[in-house]
Amino acid sequence: MSRAPEPRFDEIIHAPVRLRICGLLRRVDQLEFGLVRQTLDVSAPTLSKHLRTLTEAGYVRLTKSPDATRADARLLTWIHLTPCGTAALDAHLAALREIVGTEH
Amino acid sequence: MATHHSVDPSHAAQALRTLDGDRTRLAVAARPPAALMVALGALAAWWVGAAAGTSPGAGYTPPTSSWLAVAAAVGVAYAVRTRTGVRFRRAGARATITAAALVAVCLVLYSVSLALVSAGATWAVALTSLAAFAAVTWLSTVAYRAAADHVARA
Repeated sequence: MSRAPEPRFDEIIHAPVRLRICGLLRRVDQLEFGLVRQTLDVSAPTLSKHLRTLTEAGYVRLTKSPDATRADARLLTWIHLTPCGTAALDAHLAALREIVGTEH
Repeated sequence: MATHHSVDPSHAAQALRTLDGDRTRLAVAARPPAALMVALGALAAWWVGAAAGTSPGAGYTPPTSSWLAVAAAVGVAYAVRTRTGVRFRRAGARATITAAALVAVCLVLYSVSLALVSAGATWAVALTSLAAFAAVTWLSTVAYRAAADHVARA
């Protein structure tokens, strides 16, 4: 049985777009850049900027892979929440729930 | 900068609600690509249909198309992942059970096809092949939707 995370407010994750990026990644192994951009309805430069912040914090890892379904050489960017990012997100969500005063 | 104490409870509640909404949107955006689900169905039909070219009995040897079908299915699965942009960590019980049912249906239809061939009704393999196409196209779509729904349910 896994223990409930200790609530810890994280300033890096709390920025709305960054919280939403991490929230999407929490339940999957990896998501492609374009799908995250489409789901969050943000521009590519905005998403890139927030991903850079998360990557520098060690919360997110980016990998590139070829797209076999396309004729050009465009690479797909896959986004993965690192174990450190997962722990920080879980602690931040626990902090938010504590603020709300529910177990949500 | 925002601190733990400066965050309004209504703002925190809104942030949590937004995350729920994002997961639902992700599940909708990651729709199963119909053409690739049909491709999986066609592969299953091809594999089940290959039973017509075998000689069931003591001298039975599995058709080489079995390995080709498996390799092609792996290729289609890779294409599904690339096309949808999602690499699932856990697909959930419903998707896993549906995928297992898909494999079971293929094996049963292949066995039925062998029985038909040994009974001299080779023509009837067309029907089992058609059934494999329909079942696998439908079940693969259901399994993918179940995996996407699993992501939406936090």
